[in-house]
Amino acid sequence: MSDTFIISFRLRNTYKVNSIIYSIKGLPIINKILPNRLYKSGALKTFANVISILWEILSTFLGKFLYIMLMLFFASLLYDMNGRTDTFLHIFTCLTLVGAIMNTYMFNPSKDKYYAIVLMNMDARAYAISNYLYSMAKVLVGFLPFSILFGLLADIPLWTCLLMPIFVVTVKMSVILFAIKKYERTGIATNENLPEKAQWVLIALLLVLAYGLPLTHVIITLPIFCILFVACLLFGCYSLVQIITFKNYKKFYKKLLTPDNVYMVKNATSTDMVKKNMAKTIEYNSDYTSNKEGFAYFHELFVKRHRKLLTKAAEKQAFFLIAALALLLILCRFLPEVKDGINSMILNFLPYFVFIMYSLNRGTTITQAMFMNCDHAMLTYRIYRTPDVLLGIFKERLKTMIFINLIPSCILGIGLALLLYVTGGTENPVNYLVLILSIGALSVFFSVHYLVLYYLLQPYTVSTELKNGTYKAAQILTYVVCYIMIFLKLPTIPFGIAAILFCLAYCAISLLLVYRYAPKTFKIRL
Amino acid sequence: MELVIENLKKNFEKKEVLKGIDFRFEKGKIYGLLGRNGAGKTTLFNCLNQDLELDGGTFYIHDEKDRALEANDIGYVLSIPNVPEFLTGREFLKFFLEINKRHIEIPKAIDEYFDFMNIEADDRDKLLKDYSHGMKNKMQMLVNIIANPNILLLDEPLTSFDVVVAEEMKQMLKSIKDDHIIIFSTHIMELALDLCDEIVLLNKGVLEKVEKTNLDGQDFKDKIIDTLREA
Repeated sequence: MSDTFIISFRLRNTYKVNSIIYSIKGLPIINKILPNRLYKSGALKTFANVISILWEILSTFLGKFLYIMLMLFFASLLYDMNGRTDTFLHIFTCLTLVGAIMNTYMFNPSKDKYYAIVLMNMDARAYAISNYLYSMAKVLVGFLPFSILFGLLADIPLWTCLLMPIFVVTVKMSVILFAIKKYERTGIATNENLPEKAQWVLIALLLVLAYGLPLTHVIITLPIFCILFVACLLFGCYSLVQIITFKNYKKFYKKLLTPDNVYMVKNATSTDMVKKNMAKTIEYNSDYTSNKEGFAYFHELFVKRHRKLLTKAAEKQAFFLIAALALLLILCRFLPEVKDGINSMILNFLPYFVFIMYSLNRGTTITQAMFMNCDHAMLTYRIYRTPDVLLGIFKERLKTMIFINLIPSCILGIGLALLLYVTGGTENPVNYLVLILSIGALSVFFSVHYLVLYYLLQPYTVSTELKNGTYKAAQILTYVVCYIMIFLKLPTIPFGIAAILFCLAYCAISLLLVYRYAPKTFKIRL
Repeated sequence: MELVIENLKKNFEKKEVLKGIDFRFEKGKIYGLLGRNGAGKTTLFNCLNQDLELDGGTFYIHDEKDRALEANDIGYVLSIPNVPEFLTGREFLKFFLEINKRHIEIPKAIDEYFDFMNIEADDRDKLLKDYSHGMKNKMQMLVNIIANPNILLLDEPLTSFDVVVAEEMKQMLKSIKDDHIIIFSTHIMELALDLCDEIVLLNKGVLEKVEKTNLDGQDFKDKIIDTLREA
């Protein structure tokens, strides 16, 4: 078993190392310098190995640190009515159950399991047990320092702090037993990434119990925790024996580790699973036809066959915004004291809405659908790349993108103006106009931005991988700039006017660039 | 009309895949392009279809006078069929006919094209997403020959067809060859010998024609294998 573990560990490490090198090769500029032989380079391998090991150590501790600090310690400080010791323990107990259901390790159809068990035909039982024990050891080691640190800060006795990581492990093991028994009974292999409805209900219930119950003063106190601990310890030990004696890992993993399961949830960006999923978004109905001609015809059919992805999603956003607006208006009616706050926010925090507009815009998803379901095929036809056709379709797409994104944006813009009016208005009525126009301009800007990026940098390869460092960098930059806007406090009129002017200038320049360069740049990366 | 390639070069990093190709392809002939795995057949096609930038050399059409290739000069049928999956066969064809309007001298009704390709009436209004691999390949072939391009590049086009359809396609290619330069890449030597008028080997980054003079079938095959084996 130890051999299997060592081999599987090295296998996992090799692919992590290669992924690191692959990412390095994906960086702009650097990729021009580095040759393909990179994967053989000793020095770089060592470097990637160091990163990989550091990551292994970091992943053992970082997640647990953040989890205990944010979700337990800080959260428990919010409920001062029960004393933080008991609240901390209460939330910890409930969330441990949630974690045990959602994060089993054993039932995660991860790539490393797929490679080892399916592709390399390793001994499934030895693999499963040894790696499971390793992951549980990581849980134990990862939890211990922080359960002690934050536990003591919450005035939990040291011996309880020491028991907490053991509790986590025994609860996790108990969940595994249920899944194994279920498999033996029904033949269904539990997939932790696709919880059943009952599990979702249970998780929701536990979350409500975790954070809701303390409000009612009903909580899991130290004595109750101790009883639970002993019960779980006994049950966990029994589970461990069952886990070790379970014989059918091979059959079990054959069911769990299908390519669909393995590639669907995690890291589906670089496989044709994305394409398959995208193909599923095509809706066919013989009524969805078009009376237009040429590229207008082609594009209209694309839009009609992707209604869910395009128009319906925008309608949902619009609906959500209307609901939020209605809620705020009701709030203003019944709690007049919030009016001042909202009024001053609208007049001073317009930059914040840049980030909201960024979040609302679905340019990345839409251009991805355009590539996967349309351009991936069409770009192989030379005629599709002639300037006439290419720019003709670009124009149609631009109109659609702008229109789709304007649906929620108009509601946001008008809604803000309405809120401003209801919350006491403003001395300068230009504010209303600037609000509506700047939100509209931002919406157009994002639509243009994503489509232009797509046409000028066309980042996808023939195997539908996203492989363009500049494109990724542009996306990150967009995010960072929009994120920084959150922290800006500027009066609406000057910022709004500046935003409108910027959007106009950006659109004009980028459209010129597309008309000039897209016939050359818009092609499949080979 | 001829497709003239002069000293065409293509490298990937330091690897020279095409090392200076010189060749003249003539109208009215089907050329069988043979080469070992990784010899660069698809790379050559991608260069001719202007999907890849060249690292050297040039290619052009030599007719009454020399001229550069235009988009409508070339039809490229890939081994993996690429069709827009959100359209039906009929819609795809309609779109293609419309954007190629200028280049089609005598337009026919859409169903005539389907008939020409032996695509069943039931399948014509189905989404391309639901077409089989072979059917997608037929559609791809059809839209590539609709606009009557001077040059047809076919990358392993018959491998996904069943024997009946493959035979139909062979006959179809023979029937249109007089008006085109057809370059046909394949791994199957029998197919190349059966269908093609000339055999061209892509070997060590250069193209060479295999002369058939005085050789019977088996000797010719042996000669091809020997040449490729030296690579």
